[in-house]
Amino acid sequence: MNRIITIQQSVMAEDEKFAASIRDRNARMGLLMVNIIGSPGSGKTTLLEKTALQAGLSMAVIEGDLATDRDAERMARIGVPVVQINTRGGCHLEANVIEKAMESLPLDTLDVLFVENVGNLVCPAEFDLGEDFKVAVLSAPEGADKPLKYPYLFTSARVVLLTKIDLLPHLSFDMEMFTTDVKKLNPEAALFHLDSLSGDGVGSWLEFIKIRAREKKANVR
Amino acid sequence: MHELSLAEAVVSALLKMCEEEKWGAVKTVRLRVGALRQVFPDMLEFAFGTLVKDTPLSDAALVIEDVPLTQRCGECGVPWPEECVECPSCGSLRRETVTGMELEIHSVEVEAL
Repeated sequence: MNRIITIQQSVMAEDEKFAASIRDRNARMGLLMVNIIGSPGSGKTTLLEKTALQAGLSMAVIEGDLATDRDAERMARIGVPVVQINTRGGCHLEANVIEKAMESLPLDTLDVLFVENVGNLVCPAEFDLGEDFKVAVLSAPEGADKPLKYPYLFTSARVVLLTKIDLLPHLSFDMEMFTTDVKKLNPEAALFHLDSLSGDGVGSWLEFIKIRAREKKANVR
Repeated sequence: MHELSLAEAVVSALLKMCEEEKWGAVKTVRLRVGALRQVFPDMLEFAFGTLVKDTPLSDAALVIEDVPLTQRCGECGVPWPEECVECPSCGSLRRETVTGMELEIHSVEVEAL
């Protein structure tokens, strides 16, 4: 006779433990952690450079890329503590890797820890890193149809950033459709439009992050 | 998503249980996968089939149960149809996912020793 054994265990059980321990430690330290997700070339690193230079926050960055430490160099050049993770082909970051990377950062001096995930609209959205929230970054040239084509990211993000808006006059970007689709997938998401290079629209994003960082510090348990 | 890492997580968790609980050969593995989980079943089956070769799971059939997306209003609790932007009853924007996020090893069928 065969036996049926009920297990009901999450497939990600091992990794969820790491995420929970990161979340717990950040709550005790009052450290805000933000997971930045978007395609390669959508402007994630440029956004973080601008944020580092203008927000007046003490921040660090964990960079996830398949190869090179170019992004880490960019952050280090402007004085941001940074750890580069090379996934060698891995399409996303996982919490166990983040926990290790955090060991080499000056956590007790930070207001915000940004994780710049591997450039990809699919896999990174599914892995809980222990962050406070996810930010979906979409650059205008990628097209207004992307939220519905990659719904999981846009559903699970607390913030949706449309970047490179200076290019809009040269594109056939359907802003009405984009806005409707984002609202449909995620009515509560904060939606910002910005151009990191000129700084247009960056102010609202910085204000949002500063408020969240302050809230996190105020709620240390 | 990354069906191979998913299959690896399933297989390694089961092989550990297999050894600890002293199971015989595993005949069936049942997974529950939510609609929001971006899993492509064919790729998951292929990866699973490759990973279980020469293990106590090598004869196991993989059964993937799809769990549909269901949502409700975070304010008044009424069911929230997927196509709605706001709550059809109270107009709130606060939507909660009830089912659709599952990614779970539900059960296994094991040959008695």
